[in-house]
Formats: sequence, structure tokens, C-alpha cells
Amino acid sequence: MPIGQTSSALNLQNLNSGTISNPTRSIQNVIVHPVVLFNILDHYLRRKDSQERVIGTLLGTRTETEIEVHNCFAVLHSETTEQVAVDQDYHRTVYDLHHKVHPKEIIVGWYSTGSNLNTYSALIQYFYSQETAPHPAVHITLNTGTEEGGEPGVKAFLSSPVGVYPKPENCVFVPIPCELRFNNSERGGLDILTKSLSSTSPSITNALSDIEVLERSVQMVSEMLDRVLSYVRSVIAGEIKGDPAIGRYLLETFAMSTEGLDQGSFARSLQDTLMISYLANLIRSQAEVSTRLQLVTS
Amino acid sequence: MATSMAATIAASMPISQAPAAAAQTTYETIPPSMSKVIDIEAEIPITTVQLDALVVSKIVKHGSEVQNASPALGLLIGIDFDGTLEISNSFPLPNVSDDDEKSNKSLARYQASMLRALKEVQADDAIVGFYQSNSLGAFFKQSLLELQAIHQEKIRQGGIVIVHDVIQASHGNPSFHAFRLTKTFLQAFRAGKFNTQGLVEHNLTFSSIVEEIPVRIRTNPLAGAFLSTLTTPAPISSSSLSSSSHVTKSSSGTLPPAFSSLDLDARSLTANLSSVLDALDDYKTEEGNLAYLQRQIAREKLKAEQHIQRRREENALRVSQGLAPLPEDDVSRLFKIPPEPSRLESTLLLGQIDAYSKSLAHGASVNLVRTYSANGGNSACA
Repeated sequence: MPIGQTSSALNLQNLNSGTISNPTRSIQNVIVHPVVLFNILDHYLRRKDSQERVIGTLLGTRTETEIEVHNCFAVLHSETTEQVAVDQDYHRTVYDLHHKVHPKEIIVGWYSTGSNLNTYSALIQYFYSQETAPHPAVHITLNTGTEEGGEPGVKAFLSSPVGVYPKPENCVFVPIPCELRFNNSERGGLDILTKSLSSTSPSITNALSDIEVLERSVQMVSEMLDRVLSYVRSVIAGEIKGDPAIGRYLLETFAMSTEGLDQGSFARSLQDTLMISYLANLIRSQAEVSTRLQLVTS
Repeated sequence: MATSMAATIAASMPISQAPAAAAQTTYETIPPSMSKVIDIEAEIPITTVQLDALVVSKIVKHGSEVQNASPALGLLIGIDFDGTLEISNSFPLPNVSDDDEKSNKSLARYQASMLRALKEVQADDAIVGFYQSNSLGAFFKQSLLELQAIHQEKIRQGGIVIVHDVIQASHGNPSFHAFRLTKTFLQAFRAGKFNTQGLVEHNLTFSSIVEEIPVRIRTNPLAGAFLSTLTTPAPISSSSLSSSSHVTKSSSGTLPPAFSSLDLDARSLTANLSSVLDALDDYKTEEGNLAYLQRQIAREKLKAEQHIQRRREENALRVSQGLAPLPEDDVSRLFKIPPEPSRLESTLLLGQIDAYSKSLAHGASVNLVRTYSANGGNSACA
């Protein structure tokens, strides 16, 4: 990746428009996947005593208006009152390693813990903007909530140079919306992790069977139905004033009945399912018999 | 490909014996309360596997990214402590497509430098096993078993393999299972004997190849605290993550409940069914191969016997004529009796069939409940 010539003109353009290739569009949203959060938190746990905060590189993909952060890795750095240093060799090496596995993920920016943005942040941001040039680098701060008064959360920033003569150590961090997104499997992963929060023991045994998950879903649906029912009843009885928005929403929801599932197709799908179940068990016993027969010699 | 890749991975394993010995000499005073749980000689057998939240999310991510053709494969990093194997980190391995020396070398190099990089940021750097994604629970593959067999020899405590089901995960219920090869399989593997005799000797069926170890999932307190703030509704501020709209709107304050398990679509069952059929086809082919080889062996044996028979008659004739008899032991040179084919592949295929049909039966029963509940809702509406 070539390091872009940083002239003031280029910076000015960066300020107004996100990228040079698409001068009309700018980054409007940053999407973070759960694995990034866990990675940062793990890195924070493993920091040295002397380290105030930890930093690392964010990897992901970018579209014209969005940056999606898929992955990240920790980077060594040191901060003293006089200077800040980022281990660039380390950064390069680990990025190359990651690139081998996920060739689509490119450097999109960097993270740090704590919500303190200072001159050093600007310097590090300058370094990462060179890495991501000509695209802007995104900076994500994750407040772990361990410090007094800090609200745990994630914030995302883009940077713009400031001053008559742009200097690396001067920049404005512009906040941009940041969102947690997960696909179906990541969602399930989060589910089993959040389950451990509600249970009292610090660790949980994994693997609910599908049927248990289904049971919980059905229970949840029936609870929701009960809630709706009691609400509707109290509205009818005149105890509370009905909210037309809710009413319309309910009407819409219940209009979507399962009409396709009338008596005939119900029986058909039941038969199919039973057939499959029968087949599966038959195959299993056949396989079992077959493997036992292998052990029998003539 | 698998053998040599496994070998390369194993070759770059750090030798665990040396640091253990060093530890013994440097830290002589282990507090008595700890002496029971610290085992330098790796004597306490592993009874549980503990997965960190980071590893869970990493494996899920890697698994959801790869295509079905090549499973996601990665190494697990951690430490064993008082019978619990604590896995604190993992990293994916690149997909090596072709099996040449160069790619294997680069794989080993990749692994070594990754471990070094992890060590530099104070992460654990001891390999304790590997993970692999699969679909529908069918993880019996020769490559997996070979890699694990090598691990079990090389790594302290033998190492484990974590198996993650991609299909199940995409339905919103990810599962992780930890496995270790059984002793009997290892013996047979070491001897390299998977012919009928070997199978009988070790009493090997597909169900006795691996043993499962219970898995626990642990969220460290920091991640737990962070997660719980994520899932509690926060006062709205424009750029903070916790206020992303769909989280705050849920009334219960947790992540919005997912109802993907209520999906009536039976497509997954169909896919499962066809994978069962594919596995059955594979098995049939393998069976055909075995039968062909058996017939060939029988034919060769017959030929050799006939040859010996003829030679004997000839010799008898020569002796009666007063000539020196021809040697009888050149049979092995003339006729190459092929060795008895390995039955490992067919056993593994049976294991796959079993796993597929197990998940099929499971899916069918779930579907049954689903159909009834939908019908119940339907009749209640009407």
C-alpha cells in the first residue's frame, strides 16, 4: 500500500469528502462485529501494568459509505510523557499473517481503550491514515468501564487535520455513528455468552439442543401473546387508553396468519417429517449393524 | 495433502518437555495449596475444556466465513490447569490448497510467527489443540484424525480438537464439542493397522474412535460486564454502541430475542437428507473398492498357490530325474499379493452417515414440534 503524499490540499479534500476516489461520498457508518469487541477486551486484560491503554489495528471491508470492522489484532506501543512509539514492524508482520487467512480484510483503522483522545492519538491516527491512504482511517475507542466515571461503550471517529499548516500531531476527531452487527451464527454465539451472565456460576456448559431452543422460543411467543391479550382486554374494558399505533401493528401482525398451513398441508408435512425421522433412524441402525459386521471375520 | 500438512504442523510444535523441566528447577517452592493443581509432568488428565468468549466468537466468525468445500481450521491456544483445559485464544490457519513443500513450509512459518506475535502482546502461546468446522455433525475425516493423532503424541496432555457445526450455528444455535482420540484408536493408528484383523483386535467401530470431553464456556468478568451493559438499554446518545436502535427498543433489556428457530422452512432438512444420501453413495463406492481389492487379493493368492503347486510337481519330476530341484521361495517375487486394504475410510464413512442421520432425526423431531405449534397457533387464530 503506497503511503500517500500528504499535502494540505489532499487533507482538505479528506475533510469534506471521505475518499479521493469517490469525492462525493463520505463514510457515514461504522459497523463492528462482536469478535472485535472480545479481542479488544482480551488485549486490555493482558496489558502490562505500565500501560495506560492498549491499541491495535482494525481489519475489515469498506464500501463507499460504510466501514465494516470484521477483525482486529493487538499492536505493541509505548507511551511516555515525551514520546509515543508504535511497533511498525510488528504491525506489518501480523497484518501479513492475517492477510494470508482473510485476504479480503484490509486495514481500516485502529482501536484504543479508554475514551481519551490526545496528541498521541492524533499521531497514531496519522500513522494509520498513511496505512489506509487514500481512504480515511477510522478510530474506535472502547471504554472498558473499569475507570471511575467511564460509561462502557464504543465510539468511532474519523479525523480531519486542523490548523493552517497540517501537522501530524494536530487533528480533529469527528464522531461518526457506530453500530454492532452480527449475522445469524454470531448472534447465536452472543446468545450463549449472554446466557452465562444470567446464571450465577461464572461458566456454563454449552450446547443446548435444538429442541430446547425451540421450547424457549415457543414459550417466549406464548408469553408475548399473553401480554398482548391482557393489554387488549384492558383496552376493551376501558382501563387504559388504546394506542392506535400498537393497534395497527397488532392488526398487521395477526393478519399474517399461517394460511398456507391448512389442514391438508399440515397432514402432508407431518407425514414427510415422520417419514424422514423413520428413515434417519433406520439408516442409523443400519450403519451401526454394518460397523459391527466389519468386526466379524469369517 | 493432509498427512504432510499435519506433519508440518506437528514439526513446528514447540517441545513442551524442556520448559517444564526448567520450571521445576527455577521455582522450587510451589505453595502447598497449589502443589496439587500444578502438574509439571502433565499427569492430571483433562476432564473439562473451557472455552473463552473470545475463542467462541473467533471460531464462529471463522466458521461462518468459509465455504463448505474446505472446513475452517485453526489452532487453539491455552493452558491446562487442574484437569481443566483453559483455551484462551485461537488463530485460524490459512487454507492450503495444494500439497507442495513450499506451502507446507510457509504454513509452518506462519504458525511460528503467529505464536511469536501473540507472545509479544502477552497472550498465551502454547498450542493445546485445534478446531475445525463441519456441517451437520459429520466431522469424521481422515485428515482430522491424522492431525489429532500427531497432536496427541506431540502436545502436552495430548491436545484436543474442538468441532464446531456451521449449519447449526447458522440456525442460531452454535455448538462446540471437544474430542480426543481413544487409546485403542491410537494404538491401531500407531501400528498403522486398519485391516479387518486390526479392527477386530482393537474392537474399533466409528463410535469408539473419539471420546468426548465436556465443554464449558466462560466469559471473563470484563467481557461479561461489557456484554451486560451492551444488553441493558442505555440513555440514548448519538454515537455510542449501546444505543444502537434495535438493542434499546427491546423491552426485556437483553439482546432482542431471536426467533430463527421458529422458521418453518424445511430446506435444512432437505439439505440434510441429501447429505445423508451423498454419504451413503460414498460408502457404497468405498465398499465397491474394498470388494474389488478383496477379489484381487483372492485372485493373486490363487495364482500363487497354483504356481507353487506346479513348481512342486515339476520339482518332484526333476528329483526323480536326478536333477537339483528349483527353488520354491521365489513366489513372493513373482506374485505381488496386495496388502489387505485399510478399512479406516469405510469406518469413517459409516461414522459420517451416522452423524448425518443423527442430526436428521434430530431436525425431524424439532420440525415435528414446530409444525404442531404452528398448527396450534393457526387453529387458535381461526
